[in-house]
Amino acid sequence: MNGSRGNSGAAAMFAAAVLFLFACAALAADGIPRKAASCIICHGAGGNSTDPAMPSLAGQPAQFISTQLYLFREGNRKDAQMTPIASGLSNADMNELAAYFSSQKPAAPSRKTAPENAAAGRRLAEQHHCVQCHGPALLGLQHIPRLAGQQFAYLKTQLRGFKAGIRYDTDGNMTSAVQRLSEADIEVLADYLAGLK
Amino acid sequence: MFHPDFKTRKPGTGAALFAATLFALATPGAHAQQQPSAQPAQPAAAPKPQAEQKPPPPSWQQGRTPEQASSTLHPFAIHVTGKAAKELPVDKLKVPAGFKVEVWAEGIPAARSLALGDKGTVFVGTRQAKDVYAVVDRGGKREVKTILKGLDTPNGVVFSKGTLYVAERHRITRYDGIEDKLDSPPEAKVVIDGLDPSKQPGHFWKFLALGPDGKLYFNIGAPGNIVMPNYMQGSIMRVDPVKGVLENVVLGVRNSVGFDWHPKTKELWFTNHGRDWLGDDSPNDTLHRVAKTGVHFGYPFCHQGDTLDPEYGKNRSCSEFTPPALKLGAHVAPIGMRFYTGKMFPAEYRDNIFIALRGSWNRTVKQGYNVTRVSFDKGKPKMEPFLRGFLQDPKADPPMWGRPADVLVMRDGSLLVSDDHNGIIYRVSYGKK
Repeated sequence: MNGSRGNSGAAAMFAAAVLFLFACAALAADGIPRKAASCIICHGAGGNSTDPAMPSLAGQPAQFISTQLYLFREGNRKDAQMTPIASGLSNADMNELAAYFSSQKPAAPSRKTAPENAAAGRRLAEQHHCVQCHGPALLGLQHIPRLAGQQFAYLKTQLRGFKAGIRYDTDGNMTSAVQRLSEADIEVLADYLAGLK
Repeated sequence: MFHPDFKTRKPGTGAALFAATLFALATPGAHAQQQPSAQPAQPAAAPKPQAEQKPPPPSWQQGRTPEQASSTLHPFAIHVTGKAAKELPVDKLKVPAGFKVEVWAEGIPAARSLALGDKGTVFVGTRQAKDVYAVVDRGGKREVKTILKGLDTPNGVVFSKGTLYVAERHRITRYDGIEDKLDSPPEAKVVIDGLDPSKQPGHFWKFLALGPDGKLYFNIGAPGNIVMPNYMQGSIMRVDPVKGVLENVVLGVRNSVGFDWHPKTKELWFTNHGRDWLGDDSPNDTLHRVAKTGVHFGYPFCHQGDTLDPEYGKNRSCSEFTPPALKLGAHVAPIGMRFYTGKMFPAEYRDNIFIALRGSWNRTVKQGYNVTRVSFDKGKPKMEPFLRGFLQDPKADPPMWGRPADVLVMRDGSLLVSDDHNGIIYRVSYGKK
């Protein structure tokens, strides 16, 4: 979410506003949480992001989503866009959004892993113990996020943030795990994860 | 490697590591700020190990053997936004014949330590949130108020003579006349500060209890799983709330987050968490009786009174330390404990101990996750499960749907049980009530 955005300013704002209005109307009709309307502007319809800098929420474990929203609201995890959004959410809102997005089907990955990164990325995921907490297929569980099919630029931003110690980390686990990843490793690992189904 | 559901592969072999290194070095698009040191002249040269640059592991992983490095055992995180009772299998909860268990209050995320006010308010501390709550009974309906926000790990709560005491990580504060000011609590007055000089990860959330001597008792746990404590860690301490002077009560305690005084003997009893990563059945978590202040209960040298630590126990003997009163089972994580002083339960429950077991996570097949009753047979303690049903599948991840964290004897003799995993408080009663 801290990823650099293109300078498409006004056009993007307008598109977002149109999408927001459209989304509100559609959501109200579909029984989807009303507060999800603002989420999908960036995170995509059904929480399937199409923006490499924006994380997908579809199929993420519910506990992961509610915990992150909580951490944004409480000021532990900081983000220029998410912090103000989360500040207006109650615990019940967070649980509702978490239940909704976790039950959405993840779309096929928008990125295709470079052939030379598939095996190398898997090895990095095993060597650096990603698979221990995120699961053998990197689908996440409980408070731990799904990495498979996550957006490429977002993954890199998070890995770099953990490595630099500027991404909030509840127990220090991620900060510790990524210390030995080089910048080149991060590219390979993110490319592998982003293309995983 | 431990988890039955995970088919974790072994970390890469030397060849795999080598291949991965080649790929990594050959990958285009590496950013300009990449460190120049990662450019060996010969791509075939093995990279230098960077062990010296590696930060310490998270405190819950500390003490693992190299063989345990790929273990999938992990502590479980709570639902920090809480869960509604209607989404949970609360009907699976079981109590002995004649007893009844029900949801007493919900919507109290991270609800942990419990304290009872003179006017019936139940105060609730949290470890994984920043809030202290007050639960008020209004004609059979419970109203939950968040009375304090933005605190640093406000785990410990005590009520005495109109004042609420709160133990945060680094200090103990008081809120006078709190029960009349639940909607506009007074400013915190500091009883004692400077209780967290290291500001490092570790067992530094605090349980708080008021002793028969009028002093506030609290724990400062060990800085990691198995680490030599500094001068004020691995202890139970007390402070005179008026003078603010600290004293050591007992030492060699890895982490105690529950204690109470025997109603008749007035002796301090406490629960203690044993170390992790010493195997599925070792060591036991323990219940201790303090016959004399100043004694040492063994940590980090000796566990459960009879098991020397593989590292710190070298050249030591367990005979120099005070053994526990009772072994509670390995990794069961005993949290809150109270002597039963009520009159509602049958007479044989009088002066028994109820202990909330919030674990286990550090064993392959999980156990615990209940409220255990400790009774005394000619002075000899024995235990049995009292409130069960939180543990669903000992081999699943997670194995449980709820976690008992503290117990509180109410004035009518019923027993409240907090569940911080879901933010729910249950009530156990006996007979018609």
